[in-house]
Amino acid sequence: MTTALTLTTSSRPDGVRVLTAVGEIDMSNAASFATALGDAVTADGAPLVVDLTAVEYLDSAGLSVLFPHADRIALVASPLLEPLLTISGLADLTTVRGQ
Amino acid sequence: MNGADSDPRARADVFAVDGEIGPDLARVDWSTSPLGTPETWPQSLQTAVRILLSSRFPMWMAWGPELTFFCNAAYRRSTLGRKYPWALGRPANQVWTEIWDDIGPRIDTVLRTGNATWDEALLLFLERSGYREETYHTFSYSPLRDDDGALVGMLCVVSEDTDRVIGERRMATLRDLGSDPSVVRTEQEMLAFASRQLGRNRWDLPFTLTYLFGDEGEARLAETTGVSDGHPAAPTTLSLTDAGAVWPVARLADGESVRVALDGPVFAGLPAGEWPDPPTEALLVPLRQQGGAPYGFLVAGLNRYRALDDGYRGFVELAAGHVATGIGSARSYQAQQRRAEELAELDRAKTAFFSNISHEFRTPLTLITGPVEELRGRLADADEQVREELDVIRRNGLRLGKLVNSLLDFSRIEAGRMQARYEPVDLAAVTVDLASVFRSAIERAGLTFEVDCPPLPEPVHIDRGMWEKVVLNLLSNALKFTFQGAVRVLLRAEAGQAVLRVEDTGIGVPPDEMPRLFERFHRIENARSRSDEGSGIGLALVKELVGLHSGSITATSVVGQGTAFTIRLPFGTAHLPADALATAGPDRVSVAAEPFVQEALRWLPADPATQTGPDDAPPAEGPVAPLVSGPAARVLVADDNADMREYLTRLLRSAGHLVEAVPDGQAALDAARTQTPDLVISDVMMPGLDGLQLVAALRTDPRTASTPVLLLSARAGQEASIEGLEAGADDYLVKPFAAAELLARVRANVELARLRNHHARWRTALIDSLQEAFFVCDEDGSVIEINTAFTDILGYGPEDLPYPPLPPWWPDPETEPEAHRQATEGFSVLLGQTQGSYTVPVTHRDGHRLWVAAAFSQVTDPDTGRQVIVGTFRDVTAEHYAVQRESALAAINVRLSQAEDLDDALHGVLAELRRLWRASTVLAAVFDDSPAPTVTATDPRLHWESLPEDRRRGLVEMRDTPLLTPVAARTDGAGIAVDHPHGTMAIWIDLGEKRPFTEQDQMLLALLAGQLGQGLHRVHQIDQQRETALALQRAILGPAQLPAGFAVRYSPAARPLKVGGDWYDTVELPDGRIGIVVGDCVGHGLRAATVMGQLRSACRALLLQDPSPAGTLMALDRFAALLPGAASATVFCGVLDPATGELRYASAGHPPAIVVHPDGTTQLLEAGRSRPLAVQPGRQRPEATTVVPARATLMLYTDGLVERRRQPLTTGIASATAAIQQGRGAPVESLASQVMEQLTPDGGYDDDVALLLYRHPGPLELDFPAESTHLATVRSALRGWLDRCGLEPANAYNVLVAAGEACANAIEHGHRDSPGGLIRLRAAATADALRLSVTDTGHWRIPDPPAGSHRGRGLVLMRALMDSITVIPGATGTTVDMQARIVR
Repeated sequence: MTTALTLTTSSRPDGVRVLTAVGEIDMSNAASFATALGDAVTADGAPLVVDLTAVEYLDSAGLSVLFPHADRIALVASPLLEPLLTISGLADLTTVRGQ
Repeated sequence: MNGADSDPRARADVFAVDGEIGPDLARVDWSTSPLGTPETWPQSLQTAVRILLSSRFPMWMAWGPELTFFCNAAYRRSTLGRKYPWALGRPANQVWTEIWDDIGPRIDTVLRTGNATWDEALLLFLERSGYREETYHTFSYSPLRDDDGALVGMLCVVSEDTDRVIGERRMATLRDLGSDPSVVRTEQEMLAFASRQLGRNRWDLPFTLTYLFGDEGEARLAETTGVSDGHPAAPTTLSLTDAGAVWPVARLADGESVRVALDGPVFAGLPAGEWPDPPTEALLVPLRQQGGAPYGFLVAGLNRYRALDDGYRGFVELAAGHVATGIGSARSYQAQQRRAEELAELDRAKTAFFSNISHEFRTPLTLITGPVEELRGRLADADEQVREELDVIRRNGLRLGKLVNSLLDFSRIEAGRMQARYEPVDLAAVTVDLASVFRSAIERAGLTFEVDCPPLPEPVHIDRGMWEKVVLNLLSNALKFTFQGAVRVLLRAEAGQAVLRVEDTGIGVPPDEMPRLFERFHRIENARSRSDEGSGIGLALVKELVGLHSGSITATSVVGQGTAFTIRLPFGTAHLPADALATAGPDRVSVAAEPFVQEALRWLPADPATQTGPDDAPPAEGPVAPLVSGPAARVLVADDNADMREYLTRLLRSAGHLVEAVPDGQAALDAARTQTPDLVISDVMMPGLDGLQLVAALRTDPRTASTPVLLLSARAGQEASIEGLEAGADDYLVKPFAAAELLARVRANVELARLRNHHARWRTALIDSLQEAFFVCDEDGSVIEINTAFTDILGYGPEDLPYPPLPPWWPDPETEPEAHRQATEGFSVLLGQTQGSYTVPVTHRDGHRLWVAAAFSQVTDPDTGRQVIVGTFRDVTAEHYAVQRESALAAINVRLSQAEDLDDALHGVLAELRRLWRASTVLAAVFDDSPAPTVTATDPRLHWESLPEDRRRGLVEMRDTPLLTPVAARTDGAGIAVDHPHGTMAIWIDLGEKRPFTEQDQMLLALLAGQLGQGLHRVHQIDQQRETALALQRAILGPAQLPAGFAVRYSPAARPLKVGGDWYDTVELPDGRIGIVVGDCVGHGLRAATVMGQLRSACRALLLQDPSPAGTLMALDRFAALLPGAASATVFCGVLDPATGELRYASAGHPPAIVVHPDGTTQLLEAGRSRPLAVQPGRQRPEATTVVPARATLMLYTDGLVERRRQPLTTGIASATAAIQQGRGAPVESLASQVMEQLTPDGGYDDDVALLLYRHPGPLELDFPAESTHLATVRSALRGWLDRCGLEPANAYNVLVAAGEACANAIEHGHRDSPGGLIRLRAAATADALRLSVTDTGHWRIPDPPAGSHRGRGLVLMRALMDSITVIPGATGTTVDMQARIVR
């Protein structure tokens, strides 16, 4: 059984695109997450919001997907993930907003 | 289980230990006895028989339902008598049927209680010698146990005391007979005293009769004991001539002892003394008089329960001898007293003489004889005629002196002052003695002297002095007037009178002279005679003297043919004044004879024989006849004057004495010490040691203290004599002294000393016949006197006396310091107190060890006035060793009973043996199946390999000796072979020094080894039972597949090791809940373990059927009621929901479970409690519910954990609670160990303990394939568990991520090369922390990834999120261990 993860790419009314992840991200599905993120990040350098509010679990596999795109994404995360993002140093590289 | 069963040698030689009894035992038809044949005997019986047979102490034993009798050779000889070998193998109550009333109850007690009995000198009537015999035995009955420890028989170690008890009893009587403090007494008092003493021993002398022979040929009853007055067997008089008399008087009068059977009507109703039945025999013993007819005889009724052996006969004769001696002493005492009175009378007469008459006659007489003597000396060279004339003057002076004496007699007679003392004498003997004085003179005159004086039928009362004058005058007269023919002295009894006739064949008296013959101063003129001398008063005096005796004197004479004087004296005393009567006294010195004989000799021509030298043998014609009766006396003379020495020597030799003369006091002392004389005569004034100092020195030496001393002094006066007597002299004589007086005093003193010596000899005989050793110590503790028993017991004889204060029998301080200390302590008691007793070790002359019980008292020596210590002792070696044996056996038994196992038992006993013998080491080698024997030793460093070769060889040889037969080396130790459960065991006791291992020691070793062998088998059995119970217990309890989160412990009680009864259990119920049970059955051992197993199983089944604690307990109530031994068990039963921590529980009388919350607060689960199991089956039980919070610890236990002596249970529960509080941060498994350890009392648990711990929630344990697809499931489970642990979500998330990283690592690295392996996740909680571990089965090393890399990030996260991370690489996999404190 694979880890449950739903990835949805959408655009907000202001045109900013949003990648919304729901479920858990670990090494078993980090590749899917990476693909989705890669698809969502366009070459034109337009900002992407990655909404992790509904991610119940995220570990270094997920973080590793996020790091390469740190300068082009903004993160939205629940307080649960905040210590993790801070500890990993990702919060220093990108914008993290709470809900 | 029983080593003997597998050892055929042990069976085969059970009787072979002893060659005397063994074969007879082997001949017994054992198949018909309840014991069966020896091959089937249990090891314990074989052990007992072997000990019995190998012992040299008398022993018997009884074994089995009929108390079958066994005994050893020593017992056979000492006690069994004719019952051997009949008694072997018979029921003991048949063997000893006659004393079963006495010993049966004792044996019952031993068999009922297991306590040994001890009887000392118990009287038992045995029938072993063909009659019912009085015997005494000191014995102890010890219990004997079979292989199971049950009482099945008894062992009796016995020593027969018959000889000692009876000997002491007889000796007491003899001692009492001789113990009368008043030395002097009348015959009547003496007899009464002796009778009282005889009457006190009614065992050996049920009755006695004392008869004395009277003057009339009859025997008169003087004293009786036991018999009532007027009994026909005790007539008041018996006739010597009556052949039909009750007792054979005539034979006794002849000095014969007679044994008389007491049958016939005359002897009916005689007293039985201390016995059930009266005597059947009497022994009649004459009361012998030295040198005379018996005084009488003693009739002694004999104890019918003792044979009349030499000892018994000797006792009766000694008793009779003492009575006879007493009679003799009493009679001679009276005679002495009379003599003293006579001497006083003599003094009075002397005084009267000198005051009244001596001036008239003696002064002029002295003035004649004195100068004549001087002249004779000065004129020694003068011519013959002058000397002859001087001799005439001298002779006439002497005559005049004799005349004066006779005149004095007359004057006294006439003044009524003649103090006669008439005493009964053997007139014939007295007369013969007097006549013999004249024999030499008469025979030298060429005459025949015939003395015909047969003994008279009865004594004649005479005054000896007067009688002497009568006889001497008549003989002097006869000699004077007879020139040829004979002088004859005849004595006869005629018509109630004693008739003395003195006849001669002399010139005769003309008829016309006859009427005036007895007229005073009448002389027959011109009669031819040997001398012109004659005063004419001799016959007149004779007539007066005879008249004073109420006798008569007549004379018949024919001129030319001879003269006969006839004196008649009446027998009896009626004719004499009563106040002048006296009893018979000893023969006295005949002072009067000398002048008569001297005078008579001068009538005769000179004869060279009269000039015989002083060193010749006592001459028959000497001036004085031998005067001392009995053997010659040894007289020691000390005088510095050679002439005096020679004179005394001559004088004493002439009187028949053996004389040794020395010149001074020191020489006298040396001579007296070399050979004790009968008498010492010493001058007072001597150079060096003078007479007074000599006396003092003689008195202080016990050997010469009682030797009489006669002092001679030139100093007159009372003060001088008092001084001499005060110095301890017996008599005192002032120079110049008459030869006769000296001889008289010598004689008197020698006789007195002999009388005294008779007492001394009696005392010595008495002391020597004591069975107890007797000794006398002087003030500084030197032993100065001992008796024969002393020598018998210790081997040291009187020849080496005195023995110093540390005598040779004292234990050597070098080799036996302990014994020396005990002896010295006893000795200090002896010196420090006036009386007391003690028991000390001493060493026999041949070196063997003795124990003696000594009693002593300080007394004053009557001879020297000094303090001495008089003591006796008894050989108590056997008793001492019996006590030692009992206490050693007790010590061994204690060691055996306290032992936890075989090894412990052996160690304990070896230590005990080492202590007992003060050995350097004791070791035991067990020859079991292993290649080298197993060595156990008091020195733990010793092993078989480290033992010297000769010791190993010695042990192997000992293995092959008969079991329980000690082998003693010459000096350094002893060993014994014992049956050990694992094989034969050789024990070696190494004394470590040259010290004998005595027979007593060997005997003790055999007993102890027997006990040890049996004890080891018992311990071995108990060991096996215990091991079985423990194995069963453990089999029942586990290894249980415990649900996660639980920890359990079971511990048996340590001392004594008790197993069984307590249990714990967990039951996984179908609904996921868990049943938890802790219970405690009553009792221990195999049985309790079995009951426990059944209760446990029942409880499991009931819980599975109905997961309700109260319901389960109620059903268990009904089950326990039917199961023996299950009632009153206590149980705590709970049903736990591991998901929620909810616990329903009920308790059947069990201590409350404890819950300790993570913050340390505690809770006792005291609700839901009611009675123990099966107490009231059918009644409802309450139930309670609680929730065990997250990370709290639940503890169930049995009372062994918390119950302590002298402490309330709550204290124990509080301690247990505190232990969990302290350990609540530890994993539950280690907490269980901590609690068990922390609560262990000193010396271990004294009850068994079951413990069950649960920490909520139980740990998470997940195993999953190393594939990332499983990670979500794992996370879900972990998340749930963390939730049950009560963690905050953020906290939980951190743990979740860290665990996830670890798992990812394991998948990525651990199983990169081996896909499909398993990963294991473990998570457990304590009160304040979580611990997780992730283990893979692969092999990887922690890379040192760049921080920015993927992996590097994972590690950073783990380290950041957890409090500690440890990676433990291993051969089979790598473990990542993580811990996180829980923030509250």
